[in-house]
Amino acid sequence: MNTPIAYFLVVSAALFTIGTVGVLVRKNALVIFMSVELQLNAVNLALVAFSRMHGNLTGQVLAFFSMVVAAAEVVVGLAIIVAIYRRRASANVDDVNLLKW
Amino acid sequence: MLKWVWLVPVLSLAGAAINLFAGKKLGRRAGWLASALMVAAFGIALTVLNDLAKLPGNERTFILHLYDWVTVGSFRVAVDLRVDPLSVTMMLVVTGVGALIHVYSIGYMEHDPRRGRFFAFMNLFAFFMLMLVLAENFLILYLGWEGVGLCSYLLIGFWFERTIAANAAKKAFVTTRIGDTFMLIGVVLVFLRLGSLDFAKVLSQGVSSSQPSGVFTVIALLLLAGAIGKSAQVPLHVWLPDAMEGPTPVSALIHAATMVTAGVYLVARTHVFFEISGVALTVVLIVGLVTAVYAATAALGQDDFKRVLAYSTISQLGFMFFALGLKAYAAAIFLLVTHSFYKALMFLSAGSVMHALDDETDMKKMGGLIRVMPITGTVFSLGALALAGVPPLAGFFSKDQVIAAANHGGDQLAWVVALVAAFFSALYIMRMIFLTFAGRPRWQGHPYESPPVMLVPLILLAVGAVAGGLLGLSAVTGKLPAFLAPVLGEVHQPTRGMSETGLSLISVIVALLGVGGAWLVYGSGRIDWVALRVRSAGLQRFLQGGWYVDDVYSTVLVAPGKAGSAVLAYVFDAGFIDGAVNAVGRLFRALASVGRRVQTGLVRNYALAFLFGVVAIFVYVGFRL
Repeated sequence: MNTPIAYFLVVSAALFTIGTVGVLVRKNALVIFMSVELQLNAVNLALVAFSRMHGNLTGQVLAFFSMVVAAAEVVVGLAIIVAIYRRRASANVDDVNLLKW
Repeated sequence: MLKWVWLVPVLSLAGAAINLFAGKKLGRRAGWLASALMVAAFGIALTVLNDLAKLPGNERTFILHLYDWVTVGSFRVAVDLRVDPLSVTMMLVVTGVGALIHVYSIGYMEHDPRRGRFFAFMNLFAFFMLMLVLAENFLILYLGWEGVGLCSYLLIGFWFERTIAANAAKKAFVTTRIGDTFMLIGVVLVFLRLGSLDFAKVLSQGVSSSQPSGVFTVIALLLLAGAIGKSAQVPLHVWLPDAMEGPTPVSALIHAATMVTAGVYLVARTHVFFEISGVALTVVLIVGLVTAVYAATAALGQDDFKRVLAYSTISQLGFMFFALGLKAYAAAIFLLVTHSFYKALMFLSAGSVMHALDDETDMKKMGGLIRVMPITGTVFSLGALALAGVPPLAGFFSKDQVIAAANHGGDQLAWVVALVAAFFSALYIMRMIFLTFAGRPRWQGHPYESPPVMLVPLILLAVGAVAGGLLGLSAVTGKLPAFLAPVLGEVHQPTRGMSETGLSLISVIVALLGVGGAWLVYGSGRIDWVALRVRSAGLQRFLQGGWYVDDVYSTVLVAPGKAGSAVLAYVFDAGFIDGAVNAVGRLFRALASVGRRVQTGLVRNYALAFLFGVVAIFVYVGFRL
């Protein structure tokens, strides 16, 4: 019943790495977005795991905050992606490069 | 009523505020409002005088605390008003003569579209002048001092569309500012050395004895420099003749009756410093005497009759400084008061003449005006005779006391020079009368007598010019000297020199010689003065140019100043300062042309950089642990 904390952390780290690689290598804005969500959830997992280890609720409360913020961020982010797609008929982040030297 | 004295400056300030914001809407009423407020201020000033006179002689100092202005550590400045015989005398001159000039201006400025502005500035001037004379400390005095300078600038340049007026305003401002800067240093020095700026503390003998007299010499000379600038004494007198470009009531109020006398007031107020120093007092005497003679001769060569009056004012102010230098403070203030009557009178009459002759100021194109302007001509002549020192007019008593003080002071040379200046005074002012009002008409157009709103102030001022002598029939026991004694010290019966009667006789003879001389050349018809002018053209030009002081200043000071400024502006500033700034700009552009390549615009590059950053922080934190 008492799963060691390391297991959770390994899963969390794996999820985070997958998310990071996804952000870095994919071109589609939606996929990048999903990867970001993956990173966030990896952190949430770690938070909840630590919360259990310490026997208090602080980590779980923080995870809830994180979820709420993520939800809000999705609303704004998706709206931007949709707006860009409507304008350029593309969700490729490499096409959105106006702000450069 | 003493504690209501604050109303006197505040009424003027209220007038200025109303006319500044609503002057256009008020139209013609702007002048009446401004005048009514000045008359009300004069009324209050009179009740203040009445209350002050009820107190016993040595208790006639009342300090009204309004509020604290600056409180920083040991540096405290309160807005306090000082009511004592000297400040009340000045306050009465400012409000009394000021009110008459305001009323006159209603007629004079009737057709000017910017009446509201004019009266706002006039009232503002009165406010600052009242603050100057009522100030209880050097800082409030300095505030008023700069304020009247500002109003002088605004009013000289009132018709700023004319380049010559705008330039005259600038010249007046810059020239007086030279003196003001010295004065400010003096004020700072007063605080540093004496620990306070309040007159009550600083001018008492106890504080004064705590410092070596050299300190007081420096302070007195610095304050004197301010007084020289403001009162147009040699060598900072050059702005006053040019200041005549302003409207004539301005010349009467600011450049004859009140502002230019601020220097005399300052020296009289701080005479304690000058007396401890001694040297400074001698400097005051010399400055005054030189100015009196110089300006009187320069006045003789002017064709523009406002410039005659300007040089005359400078000369009369010189007499006042001369009196101050002789420690005859009461005589100086007495001359200040009577001078404000007759000089304001003459300026306003001159304004009436200009009105009648379509702004003509050249005396060569006047003459015989007494027939078309009998009242103006009569009052002007009364003022001129007062200035010339003909008994029993006001100027006789006041100027005679100054000259008598020179004789009693022991220095006979100064006395003789003062008599020479008095002779020239009579000469130039009567020359002006003969050229303007007497003789054959040389004007064109249809001159007319001024309306009553302009004549009534003239007549009232003429009463002052005639009867003002009653204030000080004797230098020792006269009303004004006795009234001023608590502030300026008792005037003692002279112990040496000639008797007062003998001196008066000599003064009268000198004055009559001047009058007679002017009559002989310009009035009798026996001498062709036009031919005389042509024959002595060199001298004429020398005097008309004010001994070429202006030209000397332009060559010696202004031209090198301009050249230096040009070097600084076009070489140093454009090349060096701007060059340095531009070089910094170019450096960063060069750096940026390399550095900006980092901004690729690709989101993933940024994300990667972000990742590296996070990893770097983790590594750092990890090693720290």
